[in-house]
Amino acid sequence: MDPWLLITILLGFAMAWAIGANDAANSMSTAVGAKAITPKQAVVIAGVLEFTGAYFFGKSVTETIRKGILDPSRITDPNVLIYGSIAALLAATIWLIIATKFGLPVSTTHSIIGGIAGYGIVYAGTSIVNWGKMTQVVLSWILSPIVGAIMAYLVFKALTRSIFMSKNPVKNARVWSPFWIGLAFVVIGTMFYIKVLHGKDLKAGVLFYGIPAGFLVFLITYALIRLRFPINDPYIGVESIFRRVQVITSGYVALAHGANDVANAIGPVAAVYAVASMGMAGMKVPVPRWILALGGLGIAVGVATYGYRVMETVGKKITELTNTRGFTIDFSAATVVLFASWLGMPISTTHTVVGAVVGVGLARGIKAINTSILKDIVISWFVTVPVAGLISAVIFKVLMLVG
Amino acid sequence: MQVWTKLFAKSPFKPLIKHAEVVIQTVETLEKALQAWHDGNAEEMERLAIEVDRLEDVADRIKEEIRDSLSSKLMMAVSREDVLIYLHMQDKVADSAEDTAKWLLVKSPCEIPTEIKDVILQMGTESIKAAKLVYEAIVQMDRVIESGFAENEIAREYELIRAIEDVESKIDGLDTKLMKLVFENADKLDWGTGFCILNIARTISNISDKAKDAAERIRLMMNK
Repeated sequence: MDPWLLITILLGFAMAWAIGANDAANSMSTAVGAKAITPKQAVVIAGVLEFTGAYFFGKSVTETIRKGILDPSRITDPNVLIYGSIAALLAATIWLIIATKFGLPVSTTHSIIGGIAGYGIVYAGTSIVNWGKMTQVVLSWILSPIVGAIMAYLVFKALTRSIFMSKNPVKNARVWSPFWIGLAFVVIGTMFYIKVLHGKDLKAGVLFYGIPAGFLVFLITYALIRLRFPINDPYIGVESIFRRVQVITSGYVALAHGANDVANAIGPVAAVYAVASMGMAGMKVPVPRWILALGGLGIAVGVATYGYRVMETVGKKITELTNTRGFTIDFSAATVVLFASWLGMPISTTHTVVGAVVGVGLARGIKAINTSILKDIVISWFVTVPVAGLISAVIFKVLMLVG
Repeated sequence: MQVWTKLFAKSPFKPLIKHAEVVIQTVETLEKALQAWHDGNAEEMERLAIEVDRLEDVADRIKEEIRDSLSSKLMMAVSREDVLIYLHMQDKVADSAEDTAKWLLVKSPCEIPTEIKDVILQMGTESIKAAKLVYEAIVQMDRVIESGFAENEIAREYELIRAIEDVESKIDGLDTKLMKLVFENADKLDWGTGFCILNIARTISNISDKAKDAAERIRLMMNK
């Protein structure tokens, strides 16, 4: 085997591990924090579903350059693609490990984009970067948390109004809880079509996947709640209903995350593999199944080895997040991500979730949010691309000299 | 350290409820001390009055902990200032009970007309109602937030606030009645005893005054 390919495979696995450690743990945080699942269950759910998402639903074809951030026609030397991919992977992994160490929820997509832009600029100057795409990425830093916040604010207001604001909250909870859960499944069904099956037509996704799934879930939940409303206290009852729903929504987040983000780790591996096996890569390269499995396995291992500790801390430390709030955050974030995917915006799930938490806080739904930590989060978002870019540029330069 | 665990700060409401529980205990112990004072059981009265003092210290410690945890960097469902002022008022309820206990301790019991003692005991019993209502009000405030400020929950909170105001005005009435009784019985009391009785009454009525102030803060919490 080509030694460069072997190195890339190892790095791809390391990057997948870092995604599992940082990102996957973040996507399960609301469910663990709201005590819908235990940290142990979260690890099993995340491990299994991240792998399933990556292996069965990960794209079988990937771009050589993630998100078209560089102009691939300017890279004529196959070695540049090899060294660049290694530099980008290593830089993104290093940054993700640093962020995980400090517990900052950064975007894996943005890390890899930074890494790719870094080596591109060193190789061919700033003109190789597709600045239009880069602007979109920067815009998404600002837009995803804001849209996530607005969405969560509105959802929280609507959810509480529909259930708790009536003369008879228990009666309303029987009808409205299934409605909200059904609506979540409209989003989940549509997301499944777009993110997991990689469908392109939003209307078809909503009509053939979203609405049937939502309607079916509405009927099932309605019947179940009719049979046995957990308890006559609407708050405890509604919370216990949403606790069960959060198990499903968090599992879904893990599946979509695996299907979507595995490309960040294995895209560069596939590019190097294409060069190693065919001599040169075009705009898009096929991804062999074993590389997908490698990515999925890496994420699962990352969750099990490091993500577990993260989730244990979350489970112990977050005592104030209730299930209706957790559901609101998950549901809002998933909906925003769906629309962004459809619009082709490189939006970050992690950023949207943080925005959604703040949105519920603004709606007076969370008793206390630490605003000092928000500053750290936002700073870490803004430095992700430049830092990953800088590390990647240095590594690429070294590789070009010794390679 | 995970960012998620730092993002969600601890809600001040559970500790506030805990503090309210200690306040109730303090006022309940004071009422028992007043009962012993009423029955002329000096030894028991002294033991209970000292216990009131101890419980007030416990309430103070919880208050300090809550204050320390409420950093200005928190985004809360209610304003931090309202929570702090509410806490101050709730703590004042226990402080007033302690003040009454002090007045019970400073002067050795002597002959006091029964009708005066009865009114004081009645004031003590009503004060427990005020403290319990404050506890209920802060528990209900937690529920108001849980419901996303639902109108029916807010309405229930207003009922509790009104109930606190009613208790306060009832104790005011008893206080006035007591003052009159003291002056009507002036010939049977030496000036020191009269002075002590009036101060016991003043400090007891402070309990419900502060309970009313706390309730007023809850009203402000809901309005924002």
